[in-house]
Amino acid sequence: MNIMNALKRDTAPDAGERLGNQLARATLDHCVKCTICETSCPVSAVTPLFSGPKFVGPQGERFRDGESVDHSVDYCSSCGTCTLVCPQGVNVAELNSLARAKMKQEHGVPVRDQLISRTTLMGTAMTPVAPVANAVLGFKPARVVMEKVVGVHRDAPMPTARTQTLQGWLKKRTPPTTPRTRGPIVFFHGCAGGYFEVETSKKSIEVLEHLGYEVLVPKQGCCGLAQQSNGLFESAKKSVRTLVDQLRGAGKDLTIISSSGSCTGMLKHEAHEILGVEDEELKDVAAHVREFSEFLLDLYDEGEFPVDELRPLKMTVPYHAPCQLKSQGMGTPAADLLRLIPGLTVVDSNATCCGIAGTYGLKKEKYEIAQAVGKPLFDMVKATNKELAVCDTETCRWQIQKSTGVPTVHPAELLHRAFGLS
Amino acid sequence: MRDAIVIGSGLAGLTTALRLARGGMSVSLLSKGPGGLQLSQGTIDILGYAPDRVTRPLDALGDFAAGHPGHPYGLLGADTVRDAAGFLAELLPDLLVGDPEVNLQLPTAVGAVRPTALAQESMAAGDLKDGASYVIVGLRRLKDFQADLIAGNLDRAEVPAGGAVSARAVTIDVPVRDERDTTGLTYARALDDPSVRATFAKAVAKEVRAGEIVGLPGILGLDDHEAWRDVQQIVDHPVFEIPLPPPGVPGLRLYRTLSAIARDEGVRFITGSKVIDKRVEGDRVVSVSIDSAGRAREYAARHFVFAPGGFESGALAVDSYGAISETTFGLPLTESSAEKLIHGDYWGSEQQLFEVGVRVDESMRVLDADSAPVHSNFYAAGGLLAGAMRWSEKSGDGIAAASAVRAADTILREGN
Repeated sequence: MNIMNALKRDTAPDAGERLGNQLARATLDHCVKCTICETSCPVSAVTPLFSGPKFVGPQGERFRDGESVDHSVDYCSSCGTCTLVCPQGVNVAELNSLARAKMKQEHGVPVRDQLISRTTLMGTAMTPVAPVANAVLGFKPARVVMEKVVGVHRDAPMPTARTQTLQGWLKKRTPPTTPRTRGPIVFFHGCAGGYFEVETSKKSIEVLEHLGYEVLVPKQGCCGLAQQSNGLFESAKKSVRTLVDQLRGAGKDLTIISSSGSCTGMLKHEAHEILGVEDEELKDVAAHVREFSEFLLDLYDEGEFPVDELRPLKMTVPYHAPCQLKSQGMGTPAADLLRLIPGLTVVDSNATCCGIAGTYGLKKEKYEIAQAVGKPLFDMVKATNKELAVCDTETCRWQIQKSTGVPTVHPAELLHRAFGLS
Repeated sequence: MRDAIVIGSGLAGLTTALRLARGGMSVSLLSKGPGGLQLSQGTIDILGYAPDRVTRPLDALGDFAAGHPGHPYGLLGADTVRDAAGFLAELLPDLLVGDPEVNLQLPTAVGAVRPTALAQESMAAGDLKDGASYVIVGLRRLKDFQADLIAGNLDRAEVPAGGAVSARAVTIDVPVRDERDTTGLTYARALDDPSVRATFAKAVAKEVRAGEIVGLPGILGLDDHEAWRDVQQIVDHPVFEIPLPPPGVPGLRLYRTLSAIARDEGVRFITGSKVIDKRVEGDRVVSVSIDSAGRAREYAARHFVFAPGGFESGALAVDSYGAISETTFGLPLTESSAEKLIHGDYWGSEQQLFEVGVRVDESMRVLDADSAPVHSNFYAAGGLLAGAMRWSEKSGDGIAAASAVRAADTILREGN
């Protein structure tokens, strides 16, 4: 792959136009300045560099007559909390994402942001040389150089490279023998789930197979979420469109399950609402995709989840619901699902955000902010259980683990144990 | 399937959910946003004006309801309101004080004197007493709290029980962040830190004269409910908080605390999606659906309590033709046209539009135009109920809490 080709200048040519039409006028006039978004924003709570979602969003937008007026929008982490909490239905986060993309279009996207938003590229480069890659990323002087040259903070969490990809495991494993009583479903692992969080993907697949599903795992690429948050809208659109075709290729009208909390949200609504992708195919996938715990809790509510088979796990774990999971407007299903495991006490973090917001907390100029955002969560995790924490999204787990030293797993890991599969 | 679904997370929704959960029911709470509590003063009003200032709200409630046919208090009665106030006080022992029988008379951010039944303990020393002298301490970077305005108005105010007070203003500068304008919320978060509030309290203490009661902006800590006590101890005079315009810290305290208790009681929160539809079989609602990311999600339950608020939240709306509607389900309302209910004299007599809402029976079941329940398991609570002029009566919290308790207790009695 020609890396320079991949890094060629990409911005969001139509962001300005879309700001002026579709989103802005449709929702910004509903803003009644109630400040509920301001009270919920995790970033403006810890730094004056971001003046808050209402100021840069519905208010700033009125002054953007074709050009950017408020550069503090770059400090928005795109966690989506403002849109989630807005009782008037204003798309605050979407407005701010577009305004930032527009600003980046005017000023260019740093090479750093182009690099860190390409998880698949990192995965393909790191997997063959996993031990070396991990050693380099764990080597302080190398990280100092990386901070100076690229702009990725020396203490920011980095994924751990694995020697085997998920596709590699699928090819080599012994096919499951559990009876297929419930028909086929599609598994969407996301790029991190394919290269770095391979254990999460394996365990999710095994839990689904244990429940009687035939799990189809088509070859699949990245959803483009990280590119989108970095203003690389054209690449993001290309990524998500390719992924949509790959997932649909596995079979018509199949339910798609993902253990990647944020990427699920990209397919469900962000690609449509932020990137402006209007394809029927995307809408079809959006209606069929389910986050792992969302799917299983629905089964439980319908009386189709084998609660009796769950073995006790006697422990107390902190659980953090990532912002991009909460922004899907379906509650926090993992917390309710895990509470079905006998003996397991689940303590909700009640924290808005861990700070990382995809790639935000990796950047040297935002690292300290991201750490301050996550601090109440880190304190809560350490106070609840020093051995284990639970969270649905990859980069959030890396952030929690790096900042607390507490191993952090996907809810599927606990279900896998409770079903006696590990 | 859940035992009950509550729609709305304001005072009515949270009170309903908590009452049901404490009664042993499984509850899901659906809401578009965090509800109106954090836009409130953080107190519980029962009846403030009828139309004269009320000192004993529960005593006044019977006559008031008799004079206002169709008012929710006519269906609820003083006993249920008392019960609801007691329930809230029991849920929030470190926040709410006061006696629902007697109104407190508390200074506002413009120096008016507002009657309310339950207040946060950090506000109680502001209850206006004849002969008291106050110093109102403002912060230079906090633009929503003008000490001169407050003190000037208090100084010329008449104490409701008779008499007068004296008040003066000082403004100090205590920066907590490198910025010119600091919001009350930023101050409150900073004052959760004991060292920051010690600095703040020492700066206040320097300004206080012998015998004075100290009025401060409502920013004395967000999550630490004891922060104000620390400040009082250092200042060494009685202090009280005056709530500010939104973001209102005392209101946020109520919202955050009530939701945290509800989560601990097993209430499932589904926030961020609007309810768009209900599915009906026979005389019962069997499920409601929400507009969640990617698709509609359906939630089934045995009982439904609808507490979405009124005009302020957008639950009720008037279109450009003057048609009034309930925006979620299109429920029958007491009036369908706003034409004769709004007059152009903004400061004149009351706008009757605000009395429009849904009609309910004594158990809070929503009624149709023929006074028959719309569905046998569908209740309403809070700002949606017709018949009250909440803003001028100061009756909104009492109606919300009492209708929530009535609806929840009906459901608990009927069981599954």
